[in-house]
Amino acid sequence: MANQEKKPKRIPEKIRRVNRVIQSRTFALMLVLGLGTFVLLVGKLWQLQITRHDELQGMALDQQTRSTVVSASRGTIYDRSGNILAISATAETVFLSPKELNEELEKKETTWTKDFLAENLAQILDVNVESIYQKMERVDSQYEVLKLRADEEVANQVRQFINDNEIRGVYLVTDAKRYYPYGSLASHVIGFVGDDNTGLYGLEARYEDALEGQTGLVVTAKDNAGNDMLYEYEKYYDAKNGDDLVLTLDATVQYYLEKGLKDMVTRFDAAQGASGIILNAKTGAVLGMGSYPNYDLNDFASIQDEKMKQMIADGSASLGDMQMRQWRNKALNDTYEPGSTFKVVTLAAALEEGVINTETTYNCTGVTVMSGYSIHCSGNHGFQTMEETVANSCNPAFISYGLAVGPERFYDYMRSFGLMSGSGVDLDGEATGIFINENDLTDLDLACYAFGQNFNVTPVALIAAQAACINGGYLHQPYVVEQVLGDDGTVRYQHDPTPVRQVVSEETSAEVRRCLELVVSDGTGHNGQVTGYRIGGKTGTADKGQTGDVVVSFMCFAPADDPEVIMLLALDTPGRNTGTYPSGGAMAAPVASTIMSEILPYLGIEPSFSAEELLGADTTVPNVIDLSVDEATARLKNKGFSFRVVGDGATITDQTPAGGAIIPGKSTVVLYAGEAKSDDLCTVPPLVGKTPSEANVAATNAGLLLRFTGTTASTSGSVRVLGQSEEVGAQVPAGTVITVQLSDTAVAD
Amino acid sequence: MTREERTRAKARQEKRRAAEKKSREAAKGSVDLPFLLLTILLTGIGLIMLFSASFPSAYYESGDGAYYVKRQALFAALGFVAMAAVGKTNYQRLRGFARLSVGVALFLLILVIIPGVGITINNATRWLGIGTLLTFQPSEIAKLAVILYFADSISKKKEKMLDIRDGIVPYMVILAAFSLLMLLEPHLSGTVLIVGIGVVLMIVGGIPSWLVGLGVGGVGAAAVLFVKLVESGTIRYGAGRIEMWKNPWIDPLGDGYQMCQSLISIGSGGLLGVGFGKSRQKFLFLPEEHNDFIFAIVCEELGMIGACLIMLIFAMLILRGFWIALHARDRFGTLLVVGIMTQVGLQTFLNIAVVTSLIPATGISLPFFSYGGTALALQLLEMGIVLSVSRQIPAPRNG
Repeated sequence: MANQEKKPKRIPEKIRRVNRVIQSRTFALMLVLGLGTFVLLVGKLWQLQITRHDELQGMALDQQTRSTVVSASRGTIYDRSGNILAISATAETVFLSPKELNEELEKKETTWTKDFLAENLAQILDVNVESIYQKMERVDSQYEVLKLRADEEVANQVRQFINDNEIRGVYLVTDAKRYYPYGSLASHVIGFVGDDNTGLYGLEARYEDALEGQTGLVVTAKDNAGNDMLYEYEKYYDAKNGDDLVLTLDATVQYYLEKGLKDMVTRFDAAQGASGIILNAKTGAVLGMGSYPNYDLNDFASIQDEKMKQMIADGSASLGDMQMRQWRNKALNDTYEPGSTFKVVTLAAALEEGVINTETTYNCTGVTVMSGYSIHCSGNHGFQTMEETVANSCNPAFISYGLAVGPERFYDYMRSFGLMSGSGVDLDGEATGIFINENDLTDLDLACYAFGQNFNVTPVALIAAQAACINGGYLHQPYVVEQVLGDDGTVRYQHDPTPVRQVVSEETSAEVRRCLELVVSDGTGHNGQVTGYRIGGKTGTADKGQTGDVVVSFMCFAPADDPEVIMLLALDTPGRNTGTYPSGGAMAAPVASTIMSEILPYLGIEPSFSAEELLGADTTVPNVIDLSVDEATARLKNKGFSFRVVGDGATITDQTPAGGAIIPGKSTVVLYAGEAKSDDLCTVPPLVGKTPSEANVAATNAGLLLRFTGTTASTSGSVRVLGQSEEVGAQVPAGTVITVQLSDTAVAD
Repeated sequence: MTREERTRAKARQEKRRAAEKKSREAAKGSVDLPFLLLTILLTGIGLIMLFSASFPSAYYESGDGAYYVKRQALFAALGFVAMAAVGKTNYQRLRGFARLSVGVALFLLILVIIPGVGITINNATRWLGIGTLLTFQPSEIAKLAVILYFADSISKKKEKMLDIRDGIVPYMVILAAFSLLMLLEPHLSGTVLIVGIGVVLMIVGGIPSWLVGLGVGGVGAAAVLFVKLVESGTIRYGAGRIEMWKNPWIDPLGDGYQMCQSLISIGSGGLLGVGFGKSRQKFLFLPEEHNDFIFAIVCEELGMIGACLIMLIFAMLILRGFWIALHARDRFGTLLVVGIMTQVGLQTFLNIAVVTSLIPATGISLPFFSYGGTALALQLLEMGIVLSVSRQIPAPRNG
């Protein structure tokens, strides 16, 4: 092995140099290919897998998964007594998978043809057959909707058709459809949902989160050909049904309110509609809230009001504008100058601040001069006590009260009553009032503010403040939703009845109540009287700028000594030639009286009759059949009824009205002694416009009974029948009681 | 033949016998164990990943999800036999095949472009085969031929490599002939690889340094110039590829589809991957998922960590290969191993770079992973050559 040691020496220098070059270049290459390239690649992988991971993973999931939506059932909306105002019913969407259909047809094993399928589906679903053919052409698609939300009957027919003919490629998927059982009732409060079942207006929008529930999802993995893969990526997210709303709203109260609003708008030809709110005076719970024009929730896009339809037809208004108008909740979305109904607030503030008291008097000269402007009063009231200034709605008196309170304290009260911030009712779109900046308030401004002019509030904010003035001084936030109930009935939300604050004292509030009761019993609000109830109220007629148009309104509450219910009606721009003087007392008060007379007994508020009223109060007719004529008449007299005997038998064989019927006292009961009772129906005579006695004669002649509501103070001689509960010409059984609304047509606020 | 001549011939014969004997002695050394283990490891992982990646398409196409991996495993077995056989032989014997292999490769490359003989897939006629069952690319043979011939020839030239006429021209002629034939198929990526391997062997073999600098600089400048010219619109050829490379998302459903799908696969893998066997992109989304783009599935399933581990094994194999090259008994051994490892290294880099959109798309398969039986068998055979060289590494003195 000695050889080996010599060997290196034998390698010539030239070769050694060649070998060195090879070695060094190989080493360099080793570094490039074994290290350099991998460093580059790792860097690139970092960029893709770490930096852009989320973005690329999102793309991956988009293409790899198919999500099938399982819709949740939207929550139900109930009124105060459990009546359903809005409910989601199951509907089924019929869809086509052209891809699958095509694959089926290509197998040529089907017993049906494309034409057969298209024609039958078009017939069952009542859609255009051409549109079905078009959808069938899109063979790459797996989802073409043939009919959105078909109702159950149609869906069953489709199911039957699919099963009978063993069709693959036509499917049904459960969906939800919203129904509003009461149609237009409380449309502005409830609101509606759009095509995608999302709330667009009203409570449906406001409580969307609670109502919508959680849409369920089935995520399945798919390959690039769109086939489902039974793979572990399948995930189910259960659908969670929406929560239910229990409202403070009462369907019956709401019905009477809306009926009154519609009557009022029609009768007084109001160009801008009307609004009305009824609150529980002690809690702020909204029992009713209406706005006119209104609309049918099940067909919200159609215009309901005839006049508005006409405007669209003759091109003077667009459908969109009219839709926005009928969807508008005037009680909430619009502000107005309240006028004299605001004097309630001024009165409360002045009493609370002690600038006036029961001893205060004011001498009205019919006009007062402020900073060079003359402000006129509705009359020349002369010397008045404080109560009389309220009953007469005397502007100069209230200007003096307002000025006595002073701008700073006046604004403090405006704020405390929640007028400047809005009521905070749980509905969307409450407008904010418009007021002059406190620092810019002049005496003239304050004078106008004192009788409710030159600033704007929403009706809902105003009634909340008025409620605080009469309920002991407590400001409550008006609210519509009492409870939110989970699917399983658990209470997820309960309204907190704590008042926002106490604004005035119990004593002040009691004094305000006393004054306001006088307004109705003996003042501008006497049309607001309701037989058997103590009503307090305040009328208002506010100028709409310098146009000469007015907003007339009436706020009232009952019972006047311990208010349970408060209502505010406002009629926007009534006609000037309706035969009724455009004022709150003449137009709004009688309607308020009608509504109150309907809802107070319904709400279980006991009437408190005076002795005089008791005579005219409703009385139960005794059953006198089979009694002798003498005995029968004696019983009727006892109860205060008049009577008329038909026939000459000795005993009573029949009577009208039947025993047990409740009719107004002093009515005439017809007794039949041997003579057969006539089965003929009576025709209702026209009563509107008549004096109470004329109406009574007309009704008695027709064989009908009358019940008067509204004002009974007929000293002015201008009391007329304003409305009747049965249509003229209607055929009704003899002895039917017709309620007529009396009203003083000449009252000015 | 004179006596003198006879004695001289006899002496030469004896000398050759002695050399052969010595070579045989040296060839009895043990193979390089790390390199062998890395090769087996990589082939094993490659088969497993191929099984996972190819399952859906195999299932959709033939109803047997293991169809591709079964064939690949068969060739892997064949390849291991070839590796063992070649590993046992003395690599000096390969010198005898050098010229022959170039001849065979040229013959096959001509044969494949004769219309009707070669098998055409996607407008490229690159395959020869018995039916469609057993096919191979003559370009794979050509690569081996270039390595064998260049290593043999260059190792003999020694300092003559510095001479342009001896060291450059003949090799360029051979590379030009191969390139021309392969571009006729057409097979750009194969051409790039063969020229790359050839040039690397010339560089390592000792061509003048200034030429190396000129060559490397020239190639770099040409590449940049090409991209610039394409961008400016002067050159239309390859414009689509460059465009799609720069932003495949401008046509995610058309020309950019494969690239986008590859990036989505890799990106959705994240750090840890979606899990072995759980790739979703292999379900017909990513084309060539068991072929050129198998590494995208690896990234998706095993994540950045798994992908880096596999790249680490590749790197270790390449480093160990070059270590063997550096320690080989002679220049022929060194150049042989450099050629083979360059092929592995270049293919690995180019494949992963394409899949990750580091460079514009070309069709280069990933060694040990991509589906292709004959290619895998040949790769293993080449690993056998490396092992054969490793056996003759002289034991360190003063062990």
